[in-house]
Order: sequence, then C-alpha cells, then structure tokens
Amino acid sequence: MGVIGYGLGVIGAALAIGLAAFGATSAMARQPEVQGRAFTVFILASAFAEALGLIGFVVTLIS
Amino acid sequence: MEAFEKLSGEIQHLVSEFSSIPVLGDLSLGLTQYSFWLLIATVVFAIVVFTFVKKQTLVPHGIFVNGVEWLVEYVENDVAKGVVGTNWRRHFPFLMTIFLFILINNIIGLIPGMKPGTGAIGCTAVLALCSFMYFVYQGCRAHGVWGYIKSLAPAGVMFPMNLFVWVIEVFSLLLRPITLAIRLFCNMFAGHIVMGSFAIMASLFMEPLIEHLSALNAVQALPTLAWMAILIIIYLVEFIVAFVQAYVFTVLSAVYIQIAEADEH
Repeated sequence: MGVIGYGLGVIGAALAIGLAAFGATSAMARQPEVQGRAFTVFILASAFAEALGLIGFVVTLIS
Repeated sequence: MEAFEKLSGEIQHLVSEFSSIPVLGDLSLGLTQYSFWLLIATVVFAIVVFTFVKKQTLVPHGIFVNGVEWLVEYVENDVAKGVVGTNWRRHFPFLMTIFLFILINNIIGLIPGMKPGTGAIGCTAVLALCSFMYFVYQGCRAHGVWGYIKSLAPAGVMFPMNLFVWVIEVFSLLLRPITLAIRLFCNMFAGHIVMGSFAIMASLFMEPLIEHLSALNAVQALPTLAWMAILIIIYLVEFIVAFVQAYVFTVLSAVYIQIAEADEH
C-alpha cells in the first residue's frame, strides 16, 4: 500500500517539475539572453517540487 | 523470478542500515555512523579552507585554488550580491560557511562506504536552526526586537485584519526551519536509498551466475547491465543533487535574511 501512496504523491511533484520546465523553456525561447538566470530559477523551483515527492518516498520507507 | 522475491527483504535490510546506529557509546551519548562521518567532514572542511588560505597568491594557479575560488565567487555573486543585496558583505561569511559545510558533507556521502553527515535528520535540523536564529537575530538587529515583531505583518493593513495576517506570518516563519531541515534530509536519504536499491538489484540478478555457471543463468544475469547503467546515471544525478541542495539551502537562508532585513514588507 505504501508503494501506491508514493506513486500518488509523486503525481503532484511530477506536474510541478513539468510546469517549471515548461516555463523555463518558453522563457529561454523568447529571450535567449536570460538563459543563465532562467536555468538557475528552474533548478531552484524543481528542487522545491522534488522535495515534496521525496518526503512521500521517505515517509513510505520509514513508517 | 526469485530475484524479485528476495528484493523486499533486502530493501528492508538496506533501510534499517540507513537508520542511526551507534558505533561508539549509545544513542543518547556517543557517535552514530552519521556523526562519525560528520566529524570527518568537519576535518576535511578545515583542511580545505586552511590550505586554500595558505596557498593564495596574487595570480591563483592550480586546480584546487581555482576551484575553491570559483565556488566562493559563485556564492558571492549569485547568492550574496544577487539575493541579499546592498549589505551582502555582513552576511557573506555565514552563507559561505553553510554552503561549503553542506557541500563537503554531501560529497563525502557519495564516496562508496561513507555516509553523508547530512543524511540524518538531527544534523539538518541543527543547520536549519542555525539559519533560523541567524535571520531572526539579523531582523532584530535591523529593526529592534519590537520593530521586528511588528514588521512581520505588512504595513498599511486595517486593524483586525492586521492581527490575522501577523498570526499567519508567524506560523510561516516557524515553518521555515522545518522545511529547510526536511528538504535536505529527504534528498540525501532518498538518494542513497535509490542508489542502494539499484545496487541490490544488480547483485541479485548476478547471484545465480556466480553460484553456478551455465547458459541459462548467463541470460538471466543480462539485466544486471541495465541496472548498472541506471546506477551510474543515478550516481551522476546524485552528484548534481549534492551541489543543488547545498545551493538551495544557502539561497533560502539568503532569502530569509533579506526578508528579515527589508524595510517594507
């Protein structure tokens, strides 16, 4: 059951990372000169979103 | 396949190995495997910083000096100047220390056989508490204690609403160290569990071939190559994660310091 819970929890994080990548790529396509800054923001945003998925993973394993 | 039947037991064994086990003394007073590697990382940290200071010349040469200098300048330009703003010089030592400490801990954890000091919730909780106390102290220093408490609620909000917003802001303030600690801990812990599971998969598929050499066992051992490839890719991803998590922790600390010191909310 815990594995199914992890799969459900990951949906949110996956959508969030996908949205962040979408925003980053369209920003880079519109303005190639902000590539460096957009990439940093993208990495930050996906680190935030990823943490939520990982919390689900760790809670599944520990409890 | 019997490899998959053994898997869940092996993974439970792996997870139990990742919980804190005392190697010296007991859990209340002593060294767990995490605090042991934490001490090693602290020694490495001191060695890196002191050799860096000693080796400084007018024109830096050598991969070590240039590498550390690149890191320092990255934090200086990207985090301190970019996020904190005008009085970055005062907060730069704190940010740089926290960045290098977490980075060295994460990287030490990646060497096979070693554990990351940041893979235990206690260590990350203390780091997050340091950051919390630092930015509350800087806020009190910039506004005065009463001024900082008042500045949590945005100015220009009507009276009853004001209190409500203030309560929410205090709640989010107290949530910050918790999220900082849990983010770092979960990234390190989960990354190592994932790497360990793929290593276990590779060894489980290889086992029959080692015990008894035959054509059938050799075919069954073929997925080991795929597991090894995934393991190497995940190892590289973990290298990036080690940098990104140190960076995220530092940037968030910088953002909180900037918020605490800002005049208008």
